[in-house]
Amino acid sequence: MTWPERDLPEGRHRLLKEFVMNEIDAKPRRRVLRPAVLAPALALAVAAVAAPLLLGGGTPAHAVASNPDGTLTITIAQAKDPDGLESTLRSMGVNAVVDYIPTGKRCATQPRGDFLPREEVRNPADGRPFFIWPPTEPGYVIDPGAVKPGQTAVLEFSVSADERVAGIWVGLSTGPVAPCDLIDSDQAPLGPPQS
Amino acid sequence: MSARARIRAGDPGAFEELFDDYAKAVYNHAFRLTGDWSAAEDLMALTFLEAWRLRRRIDGEGGSLRPWLLGIATNVARNARRSARRHEAALARMPRGEPVPDFADEVVGRIDDAGRLAAVREAYGRLRRQEQDVFALCVWAGLDHAEAAQALGVPVGTVKSRLSRARRKLAEYAEPPPAARQVVGDRGPDKEEIR
Repeated sequence: MTWPERDLPEGRHRLLKEFVMNEIDAKPRRRVLRPAVLAPALALAVAAVAAPLLLGGGTPAHAVASNPDGTLTITIAQAKDPDGLESTLRSMGVNAVVDYIPTGKRCATQPRGDFLPREEVRNPADGRPFFIWPPTEPGYVIDPGAVKPGQTAVLEFSVSADERVAGIWVGLSTGPVAPCDLIDSDQAPLGPPQS
Repeated sequence: MSARARIRAGDPGAFEELFDDYAKAVYNHAFRLTGDWSAAEDLMALTFLEAWRLRRRIDGEGGSLRPWLLGIATNVARNARRSARRHEAALARMPRGEPVPDFADEVVGRIDDAGRLAAVREAYGRLRRQEQDVFALCVWAGLDHAEAAQALGVPVGTVKSRLSRARRKLAEYAEPPPAARQVVGDRGPDKEEIR
């Protein structure tokens, strides 16, 4: 009464892993984005806050903070202005492309660039990855030193209907990055599909 | 820090490795519990969402986390409605599987598996719930008595007695397990190796 074990259908392992990782990643982040939690934590951890986009009530939709170790902490309270976040990152020296991907969508052109393997997405000085796991609260921590001249950091955020970030995918492209033209999709929203 | 400790501490990287290591085992266990490969995908993903939720219950010391995961899968299958309710929002975002073309080898293999499983599930379905759980873990998933006890949170002696009862009842209820059936036009036993 035994059977040889089967693998998941082709592509489903990666797709379901991405789904699970996005889901588990989203939960703590939603919790810490409450302003009462966000404000004191930012005050302690942040050396400088650059060009936050202010919403009507004065709460920043996003902010990028420089940390003493050279990393940047990105916080997104409301995912509504990817161009603004992209502009902020560029003003802080990170050649970045930022896109927010709503639920049920993904970027039409895949892959969007010539992405380095994950193990090469690191700061050559200390081996620190561009995107630093586990995420420290609040926000996403990136190391600009991992982005070498001529490379582009691509940050894709999956976004729920209430404009909250549910997940993140990052990659470093060594060439041009295609714009993200959104299309309907029932697949994982972020990053290139498995070849 | 051990993988157990990292997962317990909420390290997504360690959890991603856990997924890579055991998704297949959970998927196959889920199929044996549900008799449906598509449902097994959902059950597998739900199992990992539950595992993340329950990660703080992991002992820092110990061996493989496979028994723990299979125990969670067993409970998720047993309490499918409650699990689905707990992860309702996530389930709505779960990527659906691509339709598989008719007559694909994989479909033939899946139908054959499902047919074979249906034959034994008829007898299996007449077991008491606790006997089913022990039988699925020990006989189908290959856990030893101690691992099954850990997975189900019961003493080893209980596992042994339930398994003994399950075997005795199955011997009374069931025909001998069928030999590998052939499907008209199939390519023979090699089909089991098709991925």
